[in-house]
Amino acid sequence: MTSLLSPHGPLPGAGRATLTWFAGWWRIIHFGALILVLAFSPSSYFGPNRLALARHVYEDTAPILLWFVVLSSLISVVIIRIVVVTAVSYGLSQYALEMVVRVLVLELIPLTAAVFAALRCALPNAAEIADLRRRGEFDALARQGVDPLQREVLPRVVSAMFSTLMLAGLSCVVTAVLAYVSVYGFTAGALAGYTRTFGSVFNPAVSMIFALKVLFFGLAVALIPIASVYYDREHAHLRTSVELQSLVRIFVVILLIEVASLVGNYY
Amino acid sequence: MKQEPSTALPPARNLEFKAALLLVLLFSLVAGTVVYLLYARGAFEESQRLVLVADDSEGVTIGMDLTFAGFPIGRVRRIELAEDGTTRIIIDVPRKDARWLRVSSVFTLTRGLLGNTALKAFSGILSDPPLPDGAERKVLVGDATAEIPRLVADMRELVSNLRALTAQDSSLASSLGNVRDVTEKLKGQRGALGMLLGNDADAKKVITALDRTNSLLARVDGLAAKVDAQTFGPDGLVPEARAAIVQLNGALADARTSLKKVDAILEDAQVAAGNARDATADLASLRAEVDTSLRKVSRMIDEVNRRWPFARDPKIKLP
Repeated sequence: MTSLLSPHGPLPGAGRATLTWFAGWWRIIHFGALILVLAFSPSSYFGPNRLALARHVYEDTAPILLWFVVLSSLISVVIIRIVVVTAVSYGLSQYALEMVVRVLVLELIPLTAAVFAALRCALPNAAEIADLRRRGEFDALARQGVDPLQREVLPRVVSAMFSTLMLAGLSCVVTAVLAYVSVYGFTAGALAGYTRTFGSVFNPAVSMIFALKVLFFGLAVALIPIASVYYDREHAHLRTSVELQSLVRIFVVILLIEVASLVGNYY
Repeated sequence: MKQEPSTALPPARNLEFKAALLLVLLFSLVAGTVVYLLYARGAFEESQRLVLVADDSEGVTIGMDLTFAGFPIGRVRRIELAEDGTTRIIIDVPRKDARWLRVSSVFTLTRGLLGNTALKAFSGILSDPPLPDGAERKVLVGDATAEIPRLVADMRELVSNLRALTAQDSSLASSLGNVRDVTEKLKGQRGALGMLLGNDADAKKVITALDRTNSLLARVDGLAAKVDAQTFGPDGLVPEARAAIVQLNGALADARTSLKKVDAILEDAQVAAGNARDATADLASLRAEVDTSLRKVSRMIDEVNRRWPFARDPKIKLP
């Protein structure tokens, strides 16, 4: 395939670009399979690997957790207020809460969390991997008998995924609480009705789609940037374009997942 | 951006503990959410089933509430189409809320103009036996939007009627044409009379008749003047009648005087009768006195007889 994709190969420009595009996605899928196998391997969670994993999980999530929650809460309060006031002005206040839950908790917050984790965590991790490989650290680790994929790549992938899940989960909970407080105020009297609304929104199908969506968001954010730089051996001089390409890929995949979830929820 | 490889960084303090803390936080978030959702979906409460049968389940969705007095007491679990073409709305009612449903409860499915559908239960007699599990009830449909097609059909009919009325060859247009003819005739030489009679000859006849009527009225007027003179004139009927009435009044006065005299006579007669009654009362006392005198005379004769020598022996001799 490498010979087919080389600039001096037998294929014309458009065909070569298409093949390169398919090859890029295939590498990402292959990389994802490799990482998944390593993630289910017990040896990845012992010794130095465990320490590296713990460090990445903590350093990629803890510093951004608080202010992301604060930021998403502020945006949520504004959107909740707009939705509630608009619904009341149209005499549809009974649907305001359901709309808030659907718009914010189901759709916007996971999407924002995924994009935020990608920009703040996954892309820097990918840059680190590229830097390590350029400086020959991977070869050095391999010479020492350490699998660089297990030691350096897996912790970063897992931490990016963890970061996405954590940001999305915590923000959703905080937004759900904020929606209740915004609509009913500081009283526990409406908790039964709110729980009922929540239950009617989160039917089994919607709950499953929501869980799968957040999971796939995490996978896309964690895998795509690192896979893009990990397999980019032959275009090492085009580092910046590879990062940009991975960003575009993340957005495309997130968009596809979001569209699929909307189709699943509302069609 | 972080530039140093992980192998070059010194391990942070309590790193594993902090990472474990984050993991615990995530798992507790996920577990709490799952438990809350299960609770919100009613997984932890016992429920009984209620089947509502409707002709049309449009607007009913899975998870929709069944309300009683505005409070949700049940949730639509499934909607299915029965063999007979009706729809069966299967509702889960928690046991603690099922007490509001009785065998006499009525269920309604209402649809608003905005398409908002509501399932409601009404229990008029709460002392009735509770609704059994799996009960099937017919749901009454009150559909505001169902009125719209009928309204549209009525409007269409109305518009078609209006169109028929306002068409070029419609009866209304011909009527209006006739009205225009009539008004033109009204504006003509013979006016309304010509319009009513239709031709000038008849109108002329009517005018001649009117003239003759006028002359007749003039003669009637003269006649009336004569009658007036004969009735109310100096020697007319009315003054004579008035004189007769005066004479009649005089006769009546004489009659009244005569009657007064008769009254006086009658009063005298009444007094005479009273005297006679008194005399009759005196006669009774006179009679009593006569009786007394007679008895005295009788006693005196008896006494004379007793004292007289040739008196009879009054003794009775016994044998």
